[in-house]
Amino acid sequence: MISADLGKPLHSNLDLSISGLVIERSERILCDNFSCVVKAGEVARIMGENGAGKSTLLKVIAGILQPLEGQIFFSGEDISYHRDMLHRELLYLGHHAGIKAVFSVAENLNWYCPNQTSDAIELALDVVGLAGYSDTPAHQLSAGQQRRIALARLWLTDKKVWLLDEPFTALDVKGVAVLEAKIKQHTDAGGLVILTTHQALDDSLSVKEIKLV
Amino acid sequence: MNWIWFHKLGSPKWFFQWANKWSKFAFVIGLVMLVVGIAWGLGFAPADYQQGNSFRIIYIHVPSAILAQSCYLGLGVAGLVSLVWRMKMAPVFIKAVAPLGAVMAVIALISGAIWGKPTWGAWWVWDARLTSVLILFLLYMGVIAIQNSLDDMQLADKAVAVISVVGLINLPIIKYSVEWWNTLHQPATFTITAKPAMPMEMWLPLLLSTLGMYGFIAAIAMWRMQTEVLVREHRSNWVKKEILDNGI
Amino acid sequence: MTYSSFFYSEILAIFRRKQDAVNALVFFLLVITLFPLGVSPSKEFLQPAAGGIIWCAVALAVLMSVEGMFKEDYNDGSLEQLVVSGLYLPVLVLLKLAVHWFAIMLPLLVLTPILSQMLFINWEILWVLILTLILGSPALFLIGTIGAALTVSLRRGAVLMLLIILPFYLPVIIFSTGAIAAAQVGQPYNGQLAILGAISLMTLTLSPIMAAVSIKASVN
Repeated sequence: MISADLGKPLHSNLDLSISGLVIERSERILCDNFSCVVKAGEVARIMGENGAGKSTLLKVIAGILQPLEGQIFFSGEDISYHRDMLHRELLYLGHHAGIKAVFSVAENLNWYCPNQTSDAIELALDVVGLAGYSDTPAHQLSAGQQRRIALARLWLTDKKVWLLDEPFTALDVKGVAVLEAKIKQHTDAGGLVILTTHQALDDSLSVKEIKLV
Repeated sequence: MNWIWFHKLGSPKWFFQWANKWSKFAFVIGLVMLVVGIAWGLGFAPADYQQGNSFRIIYIHVPSAILAQSCYLGLGVAGLVSLVWRMKMAPVFIKAVAPLGAVMAVIALISGAIWGKPTWGAWWVWDARLTSVLILFLLYMGVIAIQNSLDDMQLADKAVAVISVVGLINLPIIKYSVEWWNTLHQPATFTITAKPAMPMEMWLPLLLSTLGMYGFIAAIAMWRMQTEVLVREHRSNWVKKEILDNGI
Repeated sequence: MTYSSFFYSEILAIFRRKQDAVNALVFFLLVITLFPLGVSPSKEFLQPAAGGIIWCAVALAVLMSVEGMFKEDYNDGSLEQLVVSGLYLPVLVLLKLAVHWFAIMLPLLVLTPILSQMLFINWEILWVLILTLILGSPALFLIGTIGAALTVSLRRGAVLMLLIILPFYLPVIIFSTGAIAAAQVGQPYNGQLAILGAISLMTLTLSPIMAAVSIKASVN
């Protein structure tokens, strides 16, 4: 059973709004007075040059980094200081995938998604092109394959807010299409996705572009 | 009680101007008291009937030992303020004061050793209070080391705050454990409740030099903090104006 | 991620990396061997010094094993995942510590009776030594994790961590060796044991929170 929540209606007031965000990284201002709103059902893509702070912005939203100034609201609640409310609904995939080298592929997924059956995990691995790898130790896989283990979590989670840092890098053309379809399915079901990518996205996704200057 | 001054101290700009006014005052008063206290103690106070003139190093040893402890207390409180209220000036205080406290601890250790030679016949005795000053020095070195090792300023600020708070809670335990472990030293020179065991003419210069040392260190700490504030706030307009108006 | 899946994964991870626990144990053995070889193998030296020797070795071995506790999690990004997991970070730290404590201290406690014979500790004193280890070692782990969390982002954090954490170990070492020394001369040692327990309890309340603050500051 994949994505148990699929048919369920999600609360409609799910949204993430950022106002007056200022981020400083090693003596450099990355976001100056940055504001945006992302609502349920939307895919937001953070646009910007290399080094403009796209990943940093994702980390700040996830609560891994602290902004210098500014506020973040999640469904109307101020989460500028405590992200607990967001974290309950959050799936964040950063630059480092969070895959443990000493675990097998299935063990890695079991750790993150303990409530899934092994069949569901097999299916998810099949989708990301890792069929038959479930008992392989992760350290025997390439960096790209390890990232795809992390991506498999998207098929196993019921979290509503996805923050994805360059999710398409490890995927081939077919994989990109599959992931785009998954993102579309997620937002159609009332989810919310913020991502960064260098790739052009498919037109079927209604992408809201957020410019970082 | 009015706490506005406390909140104002959290603002770097306000602190900078406040320190401009008070640092010179603290420096002059502190230096005068320190010089008078030490000169009085070294030249005019009566010699100890047991230790003779060698006891006079107390006028350097005790103020620096007290300052070393007070600075660590300050560090701990600032660490707590930094962690709980995220006040901007607290990490600045820790960064500015930790080296001063370490220097005070070193002076206390060296003067203690010099004092120990004629008194105990050895440069170093593992007595409780010398040992706790040594440990205090090591704690300071830990704070300084972590401040300098972490390049990321936010992380470094958090790290020294955490270590200071942990140190503040541990300091009494360490002191108690070391005292329990061994006590050879004479009892504390200053007690708040009891009448001083020293005669007045010995005790007064000690009080003067201790207070003077407080003022002196406070002034240096303020200057160090001002420098750090300028570095950290270098992008803000008031710093640019300050530099343009008054130079560096 | 849930608390139980995290706990299970920690057990699994430590089981997969048995070598780490073995390293700490061998290190412990090595430090103890230094004293008879470096100072004197005589019973007159070793018997009174045994408590101190064992405790110094334990402190160093614990520091060494705790130092790397978050390293791999930091490098592979799973430490970030813990921060955003929505679970209470101090509890996760505590679970991780509990697993590490069992993995390091259990074999060490098994080894202690053998070592105590090598250091001429009497059988009556042995169980005092074991009691101090059980009561005092949690404090070593708990204080150590703060240092580990603070220095996790540094490539060469081990020395720095030693520098900032070792002074905080002094009370534990003093009271543990104090209890053993008191037992050796036939004096009561309950007080020292009680203080050891108190220190461990105090660090139990404080350290996970401080370690969580440090982890949050380190992952960026």
